[in-house]
Amino acid sequence: MKRQSSLVSESVLIEKLVQRDQKAFHWLYDQYSPALYGVVLRIVRDEEHAQDLVQDIFVKIWKNLDAYDSSKGRLFTWMLNVARNTAIDAIRSQKSQPSAANAIRTDEDNVHVVDRQHNTQQPNPEHIGIQEVVGQLRPDRRQLIDLVYFGGYTHEEAADELNLPLGTVKTRIRAALQELKQLFKS
Amino acid sequence: MNLEEYIASGILDSYAIGAVSDQEVREVNCLSSIYPEIRKELDELMLSTENYALLHSIEPPAGLKDRIMRQLTFEDADETIVRPLPIDRDLSAEATRPYTYKTSWMVAAAAALAVLFFSYFLITQLQTNQKTMASLRESNDSMQLQLKQLRTSQGQTDQILAMLRQPGARTLELRGNEKAPQGDMLVFWNPSTQQVAVEVKSLPALPADKQYQLWSLVDGKPVDAGVFDAGTAVQKMNRSIGKADAFAVTIEKRGGSPTPSMATLLAMSPVA
Repeated sequence: MKRQSSLVSESVLIEKLVQRDQKAFHWLYDQYSPALYGVVLRIVRDEEHAQDLVQDIFVKIWKNLDAYDSSKGRLFTWMLNVARNTAIDAIRSQKSQPSAANAIRTDEDNVHVVDRQHNTQQPNPEHIGIQEVVGQLRPDRRQLIDLVYFGGYTHEEAADELNLPLGTVKTRIRAALQELKQLFKS
Repeated sequence: MNLEEYIASGILDSYAIGAVSDQEVREVNCLSSIYPEIRKELDELMLSTENYALLHSIEPPAGLKDRIMRQLTFEDADETIVRPLPIDRDLSAEATRPYTYKTSWMVAAAAALAVLFFSYFLITQLQTNQKTMASLRESNDSMQLQLKQLRTSQGQTDQILAMLRQPGARTLELRGNEKAPQGDMLVFWNPSTQQVAVEVKSLPALPADKQYQLWSLVDGKPVDAGVFDAGTAVQKMNRSIGKADAFAVTIEKRGGSPTPSMATLLAMSPVA
């Protein structure tokens, strides 16, 4: 029942968005900008850069609403995909200037920097949740998820980075996701 | 295909956190639309990833929303059904179309007008020509008629002249009596050729069923010398008169009478 009513409200929202309704944009921004900003910040690790990117992302979403196909997934899935791809493209083009090996290493350092930032800064209520969930997740699995999801690493890049065989990376991703699935179910 | 094996391979998990190639993305999209088991597992994994992403949510700075909204164009706040896009399109279409419309209209109208004027000119010309032809034909007809009449009268005149030129031709003047005081006519007679002709100078007009009849009196007896009308031309009589003491004119029924009705005697003149 609950799920169905949220589906209906999403289809109404999309209709309003396609009509370029200002109220619908307010709702969309208020609802999703923390999630998108959080993910983008996690990827680029620079607040100003993240804000510029979030602006680009919302403009992109606004302009390409017609390209969104509700039969292929939820609106949030689509928006998150746009945000993640935009941010990863941004750090990839940044990284292409220095040497690739250096970039990856810097990347790894930054992950830890950002993690530290999150632990110390941002007394956000959401982060109480993150501690609860992430604290239960095995650290090696969490590291891999962050590397792939927030770093945009491929299997091969992750295997190189973590000095692991490719098969182990794939198995560990599956294990991590299954664990995550169980965590959110409970 | 073995679904359990496919799910266990971990490709769906990698898909969910965006670690697969474009080709693998297409493969998973395709298979998940075919197999509900794959769809279900993929949905759960996607939801888990999204939830994980949501855990990292951070409220962006307050100014960002306004900054973004300045970059966007919105529909009017009023909840009207009017959509500016089609209207704009119509306006731009109207801005360009009427020009081509107008010019093509004007060219067509001008051409039609020119054709109209030219046709009118041709018709007028044709009518003028036809009128001229008709009047020419008419005058030609009347001239031919006149020519015919002239030839006829010429022939008669020639005959009379020929008759008068012959030796022995005589001209007698007949004057009207009290019944026709204005009556005056000439009778041409040549006893040797026995030809007679009359020329009426003035005689009263007669009803359609009456004609004048000329008589020659031989030894006191009237002899029919032919009928004639009140016309002015010289009329040759179709009777042969060899002897005559006098000539007389009566009014008789059309075609003439065998004996003159003396009551209508108008003129009489003795042959001198």
